Amino acid sequence: MVHGFMRLPLVGALLIGTAFAAPAHAEVINVAIVGEPSTLDPMISTQDVVSIVTQHFVETLYTFDSAWNIVPLLATSMPEISEDGLVYRIELREGITFHDGTGMDSADAVASLNRWLDVSSRGGSIADKVAEIVATGDYGIEIRMNEAYSPLLSLLAFSNSAAVIYPEEIIGDTIESVVGTGPYQLVEHLPDQYIQLARFDDFVPRSEPADGGSGARAQVPDEVRFLPVPDPNTRVEGLLSGQYDFADALPTEAYDRINSSENVEPMLLEPFGWPVFAINHKAGLLTDLNIRLALQAALPIDDMLFAAFGDEKFFVVDGPQFPEGWSWRNEAGIEYFNENDPEKARALLDEAGYDGTPLRILTSRQYEFHFKMAEVANVALQAAGFNVQLDVVDWATLGERRDDPALWDVYITHSTFLPEPALTSLFPADSRLGWADPEKEEILTAFTTETDLATRQALFADLQRRTFEDVGFIKIGGFNALMGHKANLSGVDPSPWPYFWGASLD
Amino acid sequence: MFFYLMRRLIGIAIVVLMVLTIAFVIVRLAPGDPAALMLGPDATPEDAVALRERLGLNRPILVQYLSFVANAVRGDLGTSIFFNQPVTQVLLARAEPTIFLALFSLLMALAIATPIGIYAAYRRGSALDQTAISVAMLAASIPSFWTGLMFQRYLATDLGWFPAAGYGGPDADFLERMRHLILPSIVLGIVNSALILRFTRASMLDILGEDYVRTARSKGMGEPRVVLRHALKNAGIPIITVVGLTFALLVSGAVVTERVFNIPGMGNLVVSAVLRRDYPVIQGTLIVVATLYVLINLITDLLYLIIDKRVRY
Repeated sequence: MVHGFMRLPLVGALLIGTAFAAPAHAEVINVAIVGEPSTLDPMISTQDVVSIVTQHFVETLYTFDSAWNIVPLLATSMPEISEDGLVYRIELREGITFHDGTGMDSADAVASLNRWLDVSSRGGSIADKVAEIVATGDYGIEIRMNEAYSPLLSLLAFSNSAAVIYPEEIIGDTIESVVGTGPYQLVEHLPDQYIQLARFDDFVPRSEPADGGSGARAQVPDEVRFLPVPDPNTRVEGLLSGQYDFADALPTEAYDRINSSENVEPMLLEPFGWPVFAINHKAGLLTDLNIRLALQAALPIDDMLFAAFGDEKFFVVDGPQFPEGWSWRNEAGIEYFNENDPEKARALLDEAGYDGTPLRILTSRQYEFHFKMAEVANVALQAAGFNVQLDVVDWATLGERRDDPALWDVYITHSTFLPEPALTSLFPADSRLGWADPEKEEILTAFTTETDLATRQALFADLQRRTFEDVGFIKIGGFNALMGHKANLSGVDPSPWPYFWGASLD
Repeated sequence: MFFYLMRRLIGIAIVVLMVLTIAFVIVRLAPGDPAALMLGPDATPEDAVALRERLGLNRPILVQYLSFVANAVRGDLGTSIFFNQPVTQVLLARAEPTIFLALFSLLMALAIATPIGIYAAYRRGSALDQTAISVAMLAASIPSFWTGLMFQRYLATDLGWFPAAGYGGPDADFLERMRHLILPSIVLGIVNSALILRFTRASMLDILGEDYVRTARSKGMGEPRVVLRHALKNAGIPIITVVGLTFALLVSGAVVTERVFNIPGMGNLVVSAVLRRDYPVIQGTLIVVATLYVLINLITDLLYLIIDKRVRY
């Protein structure tokens, strides 16, 4: 029973409450991701989950559209590139505000790009090709190169190890709190619980219509929340029970359950990536070309993929380094793919004078499909005359061992299909594979200095052929990724790095 | 009593120091580099070297150990490699879910085990007694992850009675967060009830056969009073012991259950820390757990003083 003297304040409180009530439809999108990102500074990590989260609040000068063409984002337009390919002149958009209220200008861009060359993996790998980066005005910069490097723009567009633009004031070796220009800003971050992003009201979108991640980035949801959920099955259960609006990286076994549920839908990313047998060219058995060719000839790619993924919905037995529909796709060298020929392998081993030294394959059950492929390969290789030693370790151990060429002949990993072939870390001679074949080096140098697209495509075909001929590394077909979302969620494109600025629950 | 306490506290300090040393050594024996893991798959070996240096992982091992011990004594458990935050802060953030999950699980286990255990002893040999023992064995044998998965799938996803995972989002108040602990507590309660049930039953059986129980009955005392007031109190010591140990076990990390239900407690943290080779967090968690274990043991022993007046230290 409410006493008389209490009634007025109560009614007052109620009225005030309704006046300040939250909008009836405050849309929040909950996204389950594979784990806690190691950082919110995308320059210093190549983890995919870092790209997925940070692309919402920091931006790069360029980005990719739905067909993986490079288009401007914070730059006004495509750069003016000098004839010799050594000078890139970039105009920055005016009126862009950072989340801390300051405006973006060329000083911010120059400081950020210099930091990127210094601390990021991808930036660091090309730092010796860059002479200097200077401001040419309040909103203009110039990147001056020592040598031509055509993949530079792709690096500036990539959300992984990203060349994002920060305010000059926060630049340092480590950045305590990241400030960007993106459509969402960081509100709260409780590690292992959630990363809460809210719409940034002073965001200035581009005027072009949205096309993939490019063009106008709409700010449809009020908030986007990333929830680290390390256990894949828990991501499935949370999706099915309605707790998550979108769940990344789901086990393929859950497909049928998700498909048959009325409230959620599976989303297949076809194709997502390619498993790869990385070859040790620095030391050990595989420094001998014949033994490498024997390995390549003996591998039963279709069996390996079937064992790993179980259902043709999830894999494709495809040899070319890029999938159908991609501009880099070609058929050069394809006769070497999936030969599955133990006799040929045995002959090659004899020619090499193979003495029975075990071929060491380093893998991990962290990615169960790596392990299953290794098991099938093991059987096939033994039938072809190899002795095989399977080293199965946890991922942290694998990460350490693969940096020591004395410890492995093959290690298994996988990659997404990258928009620019030169971004693949397997090609350079100074990678941990150490593939330094002179003919490949010649093609690769031509490939990265050539600016004409058609010529680059022809050169890439040569590069692909050489990869088969010299067995630089072995691509094990391609595989699709399974994600899931609520049936009434729209505005999210399938992508290895999905973005949610256009997401809405109808 | 005072000397007893002093002896116990010194013992605790020695145990903690031993755990500290073992944790430090064992964790570093495992191969795997925290720097390379944090940087991601496409980082170069040079990046990893630079990060290792920045994190102080290049210093001689003895220097690392001594500085670690010196700091730990002052309550500074170091800085998490992964979170770039003090380890104490990382652990404190996980204290609430860990403690409340352990508490609820213990209450659940007691609620299941105590009445059944008492009644099974009282009606020894009956159908209920036999069933209770079999079910207890079953509950103890089924792995907690299976129980967790089944409950999560059928009670949370299918029936929607509970949240499937997590600890509530930014909008969740305390009650909402506790609601997320109900299902994992039921799972842990079931798994841990078996031991308490068996101990309660065994202890009660002992006591119910004693002379003074027969005397109480022959004095005309009502059964409930005999069983609950006299017998249970005397059966208390073994039961309290196993309850204390169960609580320590629960607090130290219901690792699998926390993983399945994505509860941000210490169990989940320690798994992630091991996978990420976050040495300071692994060490810090081991120290906290060891300290808690010995403290709970001490509290249990002190509880004996209250329950059984014959006990003297």
